Parts: sequence; structure tokens; C-alpha cells
Amino acid sequence: MPESALPLAGLKVLDISSFIAAPAAAVVLGDWGADVVKIEGPDGDPNRRIMTDSANYPKAAVNYPWEMDSRNKRSIVLDLKKPEARAALDRLLKWADVMIVNFPPLVREKLKLSYEDIKPVNPRLIYASLTGYGETGPDRDRPGFDATAYFARSGLLDAQRYEGGPPGVPGPAQGDRATAMALVSSILMALIHRMKTGEGSWVGTSLLGNGLWACGVIAQAALANAYLPHRPPPDRPRSALGNIYRTSDDRWLQLTIVAEDKMWPPLARALGHPELLTDPRFAETVERRKHSADLAAIMGKAFESNTYAYWLKALSAGGITFGVISRPQDVPHDEQAVACGAIVDTEIPDLPRTLSNPIRLGFAAQRIAHPAPGLGQHSDEILREVGLEAREIAALKSTGAVK
Amino acid sequence: MSERLPLSGLLVLDISTFIAAPAAAVALADYGADVIKIEAPGEGDPHRHNYKRAATYPRSERNFPLQLDGRLKRSLAIDLKKPEARPVLEKLVGRADIMIVNFPPPARERLRLRFEDMQAINPKLVYCSLTGYGETGPDRDRPGFDVTAYFGRSGILDAARYEDGPPGLSLPAQGDRATAMTLVAAILLGLRHRDQTGEGCWVGTSLYANGAWANGTTIAGAAIGGRLVTREPPHKPRNALTNLYRTRDDRWLQLLMVRDDRLWPTFCDVIGRPALATDPRYAEREERRRRALELHAEIAPIFASKTYAEWEALLSGTGIPFGVIGRVADVVDDEQARHAGIFAETTNPEVPRTVNNPIRLGFAKPRMSGKPPAVGENSAEILRELAYSEAEIEALRKAGALG
Repeated sequence: MPESALPLAGLKVLDISSFIAAPAAAVVLGDWGADVVKIEGPDGDPNRRIMTDSANYPKAAVNYPWEMDSRNKRSIVLDLKKPEARAALDRLLKWADVMIVNFPPLVREKLKLSYEDIKPVNPRLIYASLTGYGETGPDRDRPGFDATAYFARSGLLDAQRYEGGPPGVPGPAQGDRATAMALVSSILMALIHRMKTGEGSWVGTSLLGNGLWACGVIAQAALANAYLPHRPPPDRPRSALGNIYRTSDDRWLQLTIVAEDKMWPPLARALGHPELLTDPRFAETVERRKHSADLAAIMGKAFESNTYAYWLKALSAGGITFGVISRPQDVPHDEQAVACGAIVDTEIPDLPRTLSNPIRLGFAAQRIAHPAPGLGQHSDEILREVGLEAREIAALKSTGAVK
Repeated sequence: MSERLPLSGLLVLDISTFIAAPAAAVALADYGADVIKIEAPGEGDPHRHNYKRAATYPRSERNFPLQLDGRLKRSLAIDLKKPEARPVLEKLVGRADIMIVNFPPPARERLRLRFEDMQAINPKLVYCSLTGYGETGPDRDRPGFDVTAYFGRSGILDAARYEDGPPGLSLPAQGDRATAMTLVAAILLGLRHRDQTGEGCWVGTSLYANGAWANGTTIAGAAIGGRLVTREPPHKPRNALTNLYRTRDDRWLQLLMVRDDRLWPTFCDVIGRPALATDPRYAEREERRRRALELHAEIAPIFASKTYAEWEALLSGTGIPFGVIGRVADVVDDEQARHAGIFAETTNPEVPRTVNNPIRLGFAKPRMSGKPPAVGENSAEILRELAYSEAEIEALRKAGALG
């Protein structure tokens, strides 16, 4: 399929954002054909260095997070703090259909990048804003990260803990990447609006809003004054048949038995404990729930006596319902991950495979990933495209406004 | 305002159950689409009963999840297994712009609800598919739930654990709701394609692909052999000064003292242990790191001796960075959440506030919702719109095809 047939072919996007949620939204637009120009300051997006800077990132020889969040983009270095850069920025704004920005509001005001500043330059422009905590209010200027705004502030981490235990652990950029899809949806709504009315618009989302949307069930419950007790730890489950168990090779299995009456006999046999079937403590669901800690201890010992591979086979043979808790390192080798299109090939020599965005279209395939740009790799070419002459570009470079 | 909503005039058929797909239909309805929920007569979508049945849901007498996942829809109860219902369905498909389906592939084949079946009826239809694990591959027919397909299979739960601890927890429908935003984006791309070409299309996503996308940083690292990092538990920190501490009132305080080279003496004063500042065991950063466990043992009881509010007062203004792990109970009254547009009033007295979808548009507000429909509440009205006579409606009811 020619790239011109992609649904966003011809759409011009300025990605004036850093780190992950907003740049990832620009990646998704690029995957579907948009021409994405990333505007960076002289030091570049700090996401270029996050793999080494963050203690929570897996370390590798290839800068995989940068490749993933910048594929198919072009980079121009424009120092927006320098007045000389403004005219070039305005040219880019006139050229663009969409602009994505994630500076905190105060910084936008300083840089004259608020929607009110931009709209007169290009009234058809779609201005997509990402903030940590929203556009107004006491915390609007607080820098928001996924761990703080999406996970901690929303109550997700508090709710994701075992009773008496520490808060849950957020994975790197997990909330950022979910938020990116809301930002993409908001941009696409604005495109529909522009098609209908000819007008550009402001659209946006916040990390906090997405975190609360993700924990919508408990947030909606709290709005109705209903609260969720923390999950009891695996050694004191509410039900031993709906609990997680560790195997001898330090893997975990999630038993998800709903039809207890039917499943209890094959389960007891699969565990090698047929005598449990005549134990009065575990005779019916009511007794099993009452003695769930005792039962979990017996079952826990049984599961720890054999490997994950053994239990997969033994439980499947008994028709017992369970969930797999994969390790991240298993996913790239999972046939189903390829079948559902999550893992795709790239044109990046050091990084032969990457994750596609989760949108699937019957009429178009996502663009294959090409290497992420070097800092300022396309500065000259982009400025020429928006009509600057060679001597203007040279003048900008001499002031340090462009690199 | 309502005619300015970007999706007004679109007819959406929501032939889906539980949460991810119905939540996508909610977001479309929030922004103006006319959503008809097609469900089985009698019990309807089983999600209607989750607030009473699901062990992981907060207890309430009020159907709070339905406000979230059923708002602004009309309900048509028809039994798709009955041949009498087929003409009704086909008439609706003929008029619809969008159809959302989440039956596993074999059920779609049985019910003749595949894209091929629908395309023949309405070539301009945008057909949106949600599956657990994708449309092909060894697990395509496996029913997928958020906890198994999004969280377990993608490696998120394994990655979200403390070293040596059990896997992390997910909240009810957490991954479903994130996935809904991807479905919305997919549908909007399908609409754009229809506008550009005049043709309908298939679009979709899977829970697995969304989990993998959310866990993308970690999986991408694993895919190229990166060394995965497990978070150390709070009682065994690698750095006691960037760690979680429990307060007297069972809150968790995130201490983030990255610049302990500068802040160590201040910190010792604030916690009421000025002598620590001159203790040779902790004199330099290197020693504080090496003795992280010892240092943790010194300061954990100090944090446990005061409430979170007391610590907040003591730490504020000292320059020592810290954060709190928010609780959902607090967020519902959080001023910042109000500013970020996270909650919305409803006209349903039973559930007077609900959670907004995270998409914000400068040109339109999400519609205010009332009480979600009962099963089949709008059946007769919808059939009349399709020019069915009262006698025909009655006949369908008698045949058991209409509820």
C-alpha cells in the first residue's frame, strides 16, 4: 500500500513536546502517515537520555525508548527562548495542521506558545495540549509525570496495593502511553470539527484525567460513596480458588475459577491432593472461603513443588481456568503478540523489531519504523521547506537559535 | 451547543458487552453520537450486574458502573440468535455509521456479524472490532478480560512487582478504559477514511495489544535483551533517601531527596535528629548509599511516628522534594480534579456525579448524562423510527426476539 493512502497522509504535525505521552501521540499520527516535525531545544528532548538517566529503565546497548517515541519523525533544533527563532516558528506554525505541546502553562506563557498566541498565526491550526494536572487550578503549573500525576495523584497506586502492603509499582511510561491514545482521539475529533467548520481549535487531555479514567470504576464508586477495601495478600485470599500462586521457578499463576463446584474436584486432583475432596474444611464454597488461608497454604505448597511449565500443562489438562502472568521478556517471543500486530518489524538496523501502536485499520498498515532522528538532523531541510532562504538559515544558526 | 458537538448526527450500534467496547461507545455519545446499545432481552449486558456480582467491585446499592459505561445510550433488546431479529438488525446496520462489536470471532461467525456480513448490508459502515488477543493466531478465540489479556499476558503485572514479591494488582476495568481510547481513535480514523474515499472499513484493537503498548518501554527493552529492573521493596531500598515511607495514619510518603549532597543536614533537622548530620556512618553520599538498609532502619520509625499532614507541614518549604500517594477518596473532592474537568454532574439522582472521558475539546463540552437506560427501554421507540408498525413490534415481542 502506498503511504499516500494512509489516513493521515499529508497531515503536518509539529511535536513541540518532551518525554513520552505527547511525543507518543505524535508517533501514532506518524504511524498513520502524518509528517511529524519535532522541534527541540539545543539540548534536545531529555527523553533522548532517559534510558541512562532513569533507574527504572532496562539498560541496553541501543537507545530503544528514544527509537520508539521518535520513529519516523524529523528533528529541527529551534531555541524558542531566542527572539530570532520566532519568525521561523511562525513559518512552521503556518505550515502545520496540528501542534502538540506539553510545556506547563507558565512556560507556554513565557514562550508565547499559549493557544491565544498561536491562533492568530494560523486559525486553522489544531492545538493539542497535554498537561499533568489540567489547564487551570492550583496545580496547573506543576510539572506532571506519569508516576506522579497519572498513578500517584489519581489514587491508582494506593488502590493497587495488597492490604497492609506498600503502594503498587507503576511501569515506566505505562500511563504516558495510555494517555497518548486519548490525545490522539482528541486531535482526530478536532480534525472532524475543522472539516465541518473550517476552524482550528484547542484540544487536550491531562495525565491526571487519564489516570482517573483508568480507575474509573473505583472513582465512580467513590462518587457514590462506595469504597473498595485493599486486596488481601496472596497468603490470606478471600478465595483460595481466585488467587495467585508462585511456582518452583519463581513464576506466578492466576487461578480464575468461577464455577467452583465443577472445578474443585479436577483442581484438587491436578494439585496431587485428592484427599482434600473429603476434607470437611473444604467441602463446599462456604467452607472453602471460611478456611481460605488454610487452603491457600496447602495449595501454595503444591504449586511451589513444580515448575510453571508443568502447571500450565496440568491445569490445561484438567480444564481448569487460569490466567498467565507473562514476564515482559516473554512477550517479544509470544506468537500471539505478533498475530495481534503488537510486535512489528522495523527498518532500524540496531532494533529489528518494535511495538506498533494498538490501532488496527483494515484499509491501511502502519508505517514501518525508520530510525529516530539525530538532534537537529533535519533543521536545514525543514526550514527550506517552509520557505527560508539559505542566508536566512545561516543567520539563524549564527545566533544559536537554530542548530 | 449540541449541534456543535463533533459527532452529532452519527448513528452508532454498540453490540458489545462489559467494558472496553461499551466505554468507547460512551465516549462517542459524550461528544454527540446517537448510540443504540443492542443487548439480549432479559438480563441485557452482563455488565449491568457487575456492581452486585463482581468481588473486586466496591459494594453499592446503586448501579454506579452503568453510569460510566451505559450513559447517554438507548437500549434495544433483541435476541440476535432468533431469525426474526435479523431484519431489525439489518435495517439498523443499513442506517448506521459505526458498529462496535466485541464477540469472540466464532460467535461473530455464528451470528453472521463479521465485517464481511455487515459490509454487504452497508458498504459505508465503519466496523469496529475489539478482541482479547487479536483477530488471528492461536488465541484469537479465547475470551479476553482486562486482567488476563491487558495486564497478565502483556507482562505488566510481573513488571509491577517489588523484588521477591507477588505480582502487581490491577484495578477493575483499568485496562479496559485505556483500551477504549484506542477504539475511539481507530473509529475516528475510520471516519476520516470514509470521508476521504466514500468507503466503509474495518477498524479495531485488542486488549493484549493495548497492554503491550502500555508496557511498551519495558517490552521494547526486553526485546533487545535489556536488563530488566525490579523495584526494591520499601523496606530494602537501594537509596533510603528516595524511598517510600509509611506514616502513622497509614499513608505513604514518597521521599525524593535526589540532592542529598546538599539537603542531608536540613533533612536531619526536619526529622528531629540533628545528630545524624555529623554521624560519621552517614557523612558522605557514598556511605549513605552503602548503608541504605541501616539508614532506613533509623528513619522508617521516625516517619511512622507522625501523620502525613504533620510531615507535609514539616517538609514544606524545606526544599526537600516529597510526594504523596493519593487516595481515590480524596480525589473526588480534589479542587485540581475539578479544574481538570475530570468529574461531571449528571441528572441521575442515584449517581449524581460521573467520570468524564479524558478527551477535552475547546469547541465542545461532553453532553450531560441522565439515567442509563434499562434493558430494552427504547426498543419500541427505535423500531418505530425504523417504520415498524405497532402490530409488527408486538409480533416480534411474542416471538421472543424483542425485549
